[in-house]
Amino acid sequence: MNHFVFPKWSNFAAPALVIIALIVPGYALSVVYYGGSPRTTDVGYEPAQPVEYSHALHVGKLGIDCRYCHTTVESSAQASIPPTQTCMNCHKQIRAESRKLLPMKQSHATGMPIEWIRVHDLPDYVYFNHSAHVTRGVSCVSCHGRVDKMQVVYQKETLSMAWCLDCHRRPEKHLREQEFVTQLDWTPGEDPLTYGLRIRERNNINPSTDCSTCHR
Amino acid sequence: MSKSVIIGGMIAALLALLPLLFIARARVVRSDRTRIHLIQDMDNQPKFKAQSSNPLFADRRAMRPRVLGTVAREQLNEDTRLYLGMSNGEFVPTNPLPITEALLKRGQERYDIFCAACHGLAGYGDGMVAIRADELQEGTWTPPTSYHNDLMREREDGHLFNTITNGIRNMAAYGPQIPAQDRWAIVAYIRALQRSQNAKLEDVPEELRASLR
Repeated sequence: MNHFVFPKWSNFAAPALVIIALIVPGYALSVVYYGGSPRTTDVGYEPAQPVEYSHALHVGKLGIDCRYCHTTVESSAQASIPPTQTCMNCHKQIRAESRKLLPMKQSHATGMPIEWIRVHDLPDYVYFNHSAHVTRGVSCVSCHGRVDKMQVVYQKETLSMAWCLDCHRRPEKHLREQEFVTQLDWTPGEDPLTYGLRIRERNNINPSTDCSTCHR
Repeated sequence: MSKSVIIGGMIAALLALLPLLFIARARVVRSDRTRIHLIQDMDNQPKFKAQSSNPLFADRRAMRPRVLGTVAREQLNEDTRLYLGMSNGEFVPTNPLPITEALLKRGQERYDIFCAACHGLAGYGDGMVAIRADELQEGTWTPPTSYHNDLMREREDGHLFNTITNGIRNMAAYGPQIPAQDRWAIVAYIRALQRSQNAKLEDVPEELRASLR
């Protein structure tokens, strides 16, 4: 008859179950919350590009302005990947024989575009407009990070809707004088919030948070 | 409690740590692997966006270049003074745009973006790219011209405009990169640069002269 008696450890079963019941949902929640967050799935995407172009060299060291290549950023929705001709402006002479530049030379000779891999990719139902942001004093650095320090461009911010709305609700964190938008290392030299608020009030910047602003 | 239950529980607890470790790794390490896209929604729609590729065309461009021999509306650009810097086959001597402070400021900004890389911020031909070309000892490199000599000072505005638009020697054509109005703004700013480096004391308004010394 002895095996009909509960074994001694069954005294711990009830408290153990309570502990498990507390831990398991918390664990499941954190796996879903952290695992599904764009900071895990999207940030840090750093695709290998067809040409080993280094922004760190061209922007960081040589000081070429973003708009030298991304010419349409102030006038259109797209910042635009430059045509191969823009590379050739300098590389017709400089490092013209470099192996790294072979895909570029081929593209220039054949007229076939270099197929760069898109790093910052919003969902197709989001209509982001570069010119609307850049001409109002939102710097490139706010969304793209310190590209002037990147050998290979990677995604720095989440580009999630919560992240967009955070700035649309309080844009003063990211506003500066329009002339400094492409200076990625620029700082206001005073409290950034007071500075941003001043710019916001002067230029009357009140971004909309209506659905149709970005989804149309 | 039986030993196997304890060991089983410990193994389960350790395995449960693995997803957390993977998540932690994904949050700190950069990777060239395609992003994980758990919920697709309509994030990637079968449509062509700017600069995307379309296998239907030989050059795979979704955006089609202009058909040869056609002119888009409002792009006839028939004013040769404004768009070619020429009138009756001669370079126009002066800028067709009214010279205002706003135009000069615009010219300065555009100059710093497009020209300063080679020509230098003050126009002496000592930009960072020119310095880099010297460092690399590029044989075919012709150093960029300084604006501060009599030849350059006497060039017609239309001539400078033409050089920016179509390029010269090494220098590529910047017409496709810079709109015509901005090219004229740059010409105006180059004139200002030239005066700034070749000025006499009498050129400065009398009330400001004291501030120079």
